[in-house]
Amino acid sequence: MDRTLKNRLEVRLAGLTRGPVRQRYDETEIRVSPGDAPKVLTILHDSIDLRFEILADLAGVDTGAEMQVVYHLWSPASDDWLRVVAEGISRDDPRAPSATFLWPGAEWLEREAYDMFGIVFEGNRDLRRILMPADYLSFPLRKDFLLGDDASRTPGAGVRHSERAQVPATPAGGDPAVRRAPAS
Amino acid sequence: MPTRRQPAQSATTNADPKAAPNARAAGGRRASAKPDVRGVGPRGRISADDPRVTLEQEIGSDLYEPIPPFPIKTEREGEFYSLRDGEIFLNIGPHHPATHGVLRLVLKLSGEQIVDVDPVIGYLHRGVEKICENSDYYHVIDQVDPLEYLSSLFQEWPAVMAFEKLMDVEVPRRAEYIRVLTGELLRISSHTLYMGFMALDLGGLTPILYSFIERDEIVEMLASITGARMLFNYYRIGGVNGDLNHEFMSRLGDWMSRAGKQAEAITALLNENEIFLRRMRDVGTMDRATALRYGVTGANIRACGVPFDLRRAHPYSVYPEIDFNIPTREEGDSLARYLMRVDEIKESIRIIDQCLHQMPDGPIMAKLPRLLRPRPGRAWAAVEAPRGSLGVYAMSDGTDQPFRFRIHDPSFMHLGVVPHMLPGNLLADTMAIVSSLDPVMGGVDR
Amino acid sequence: MAVNQRPAGRTARGKELAPAAPAGLAKPIVVPNTLWTPADPRARSAIAPSQADNTHLGPLGDGDALRADDGRWGRLQVIPTNADYVLELIRANSLWPLLSGLACCAFEMMSAATSKNDMDRWGMFPFRASPRQSDVLIVAGTLTTKMAGPLLRLWEQMPEPKWCVAMGDCTVSGGRYKRSYSVVQGIDRVMPVDVYVPGCPPRPEGLIYGMLQLGQLVKDRRGHWTERSIGPTAPKGI
Repeated sequence: MDRTLKNRLEVRLAGLTRGPVRQRYDETEIRVSPGDAPKVLTILHDSIDLRFEILADLAGVDTGAEMQVVYHLWSPASDDWLRVVAEGISRDDPRAPSATFLWPGAEWLEREAYDMFGIVFEGNRDLRRILMPADYLSFPLRKDFLLGDDASRTPGAGVRHSERAQVPATPAGGDPAVRRAPAS
Repeated sequence: MPTRRQPAQSATTNADPKAAPNARAAGGRRASAKPDVRGVGPRGRISADDPRVTLEQEIGSDLYEPIPPFPIKTEREGEFYSLRDGEIFLNIGPHHPATHGVLRLVLKLSGEQIVDVDPVIGYLHRGVEKICENSDYYHVIDQVDPLEYLSSLFQEWPAVMAFEKLMDVEVPRRAEYIRVLTGELLRISSHTLYMGFMALDLGGLTPILYSFIERDEIVEMLASITGARMLFNYYRIGGVNGDLNHEFMSRLGDWMSRAGKQAEAITALLNENEIFLRRMRDVGTMDRATALRYGVTGANIRACGVPFDLRRAHPYSVYPEIDFNIPTREEGDSLARYLMRVDEIKESIRIIDQCLHQMPDGPIMAKLPRLLRPRPGRAWAAVEAPRGSLGVYAMSDGTDQPFRFRIHDPSFMHLGVVPHMLPGNLLADTMAIVSSLDPVMGGVDR
Repeated sequence: MAVNQRPAGRTARGKELAPAAPAGLAKPIVVPNTLWTPADPRARSAIAPSQADNTHLGPLGDGDALRADDGRWGRLQVIPTNADYVLELIRANSLWPLLSGLACCAFEMMSAATSKNDMDRWGMFPFRASPRQSDVLIVAGTLTTKMAGPLLRLWEQMPEPKWCVAMGDCTVSGGRYKRSYSVVQGIDRVMPVDVYVPGCPPRPEGLIYGMLQLGQLVKDRRGHWTERSIGPTAPKGI
């Protein structure tokens, strides 16, 4: 738990974060809006007292209500991992700015987030499918993409907690087993 | 005399009267061939378990992706798939004699020199993250094993660490020491295999046999405590699954007397071999800035002069109590990456020695309820796997299944740096460079 | 008398002066062996084994020679059997696999091929890189929908006779990826399979057992490749 990191972040990123800086164990988390993400990442990367130069991960998240892009960063100047959550991306037309201007290695990570969630990263020169075949239509890790035998859809509704339906049995839009193009 | 040479076309192909009528014109698109399908059912309404075969539904209308892809979707694709004078495409894979797995490299060559490369991955994408979102926490540990199958325990480790953060569980010290011990054993096995595969991909068929001798011994050792040779499923949230037993200790004691002998045998074969050195020295040089910007971790970045090792940079488990060095090299070429891992084997043997001496007594598993329900929240944990920093980002919503289970794989990032490193080298250096990065496709594709 | 001995009375040009054959049989054409002279002039003579150093080509007498392995056929020096049996024997003992390791099972396959569990004892060591030169396709590792096309292409490129071994749970039935959206639930959905080797991953000894079963299959000519079909082979009613 790096208390000084919290102070430094509050000084450098005043006004750009949404909500307080949260810390738990060895992680510090800040939340930003997707439009501010490039500026925040640049400040984190370039500031002499922050120096978050290593991008450890770039992940997409589908919370059911919205989508988020989560960055994990490491700095030699701090004991903690820093998590930057760009939240508030809409589920119907997910767009986020790309981090490839800062870390070219994020190109493939963003391709994967696009492939799995449909998040379009503006500024990524190569936004195409990476893990699924090129002509695949769905985005597998979205919460409305259900696996073939999800027990939550069985008539008996399951007994264990994990088998209870967490999504409606007939989602709006028809049978999810049918592949269909994402809504444009 | 035409000065423009058509790519990959020979005069005889078109003139051959015996050519099959549907022969594909060189350089053009493949004539679409529907495969012979039995039991075609109505589309879209068949469940995944229906035994009637529908090749079209499972595989798609094209058996494989055409070169160039049609239509061109992105800027980079357009730049890559347009040929200039004298350039050809060469497709390596997804099935190829190099043993790193199903990786497809589309090379753009001008003569022997590589102009550009487009690695295509995803041939082993198994949907592990989605399966984990619909599984119990125990099942997640099992599902996450086959990712980097050569170092299974390192896949389980960050998952287990992330879950322990979500459940506020403290791991007993003996369990931590066992984790480090088994992890370092597996690191030695993985690096020895790497040395063998490095030689195999360059054409040397002997070192791989030594590697497999070492791997078989280590893996039998681990099988005596975990029960499996390869996909161990050994770490648990709060500890490990079983304690060390007599068989393990006797095998380990025997092995310690010849620890690293096979690696030494391989270095005796390779380190002064002129062909090996000439093929690896100054090939695929990566400088420090590139490595940092592309997210390269592990031995690959330490070979560029950046001493970034998560065991020291962000210590976890009981590594602060163990004394070991971080070897670093300056050159950043394939030879440096290879020699890095040879050095790391020696460091791992030291760590194992210290673990055996410092092993405390005590329980190997923390007390946990049967149905695991962590608090809602997020956790990130990363370990230093043999290939780099392997991270897990877990989100929990309070139920007994993880809400989001994201695995950050080091080999994925390393293959992302291949389009930057490969151009300018010759075709024969492709394997020297890609193998020296040590990718494992199970982890890349997840 | 050795069979290869020149009959007396042969001219230099090879016209044979052997006694006349019985009526109805065609006249055998005997070509004299003037092309090759053995290094050891006694190799093809009728000298008793104790006098000649080379006992392989000489006549077999009584004693140890008859108890040796090649003493079974005595002086006949031919093996009377079916040509088909010999062909199947040759094929079964020299099954060359195609190096088709997709995932984790590939490492157990390689472990089965290397020093500790040596598959070379049964003639299976050379893992060919090219499908045109291999007999068996050991599909070791998960088959995804993206890879199914190339794998089918590999299978089609292999020349007959060819066999397919499904190694590991993922190829047998989808295994631990039963719920996945991108894994083919068993390769028998896309190609005919001869031997299923279950396990996750199967031990190298298990794979060797599977390959020996395949050798038995080849020898018995069961499941002949011309009668194969695609699809799960569980019988009806199960």
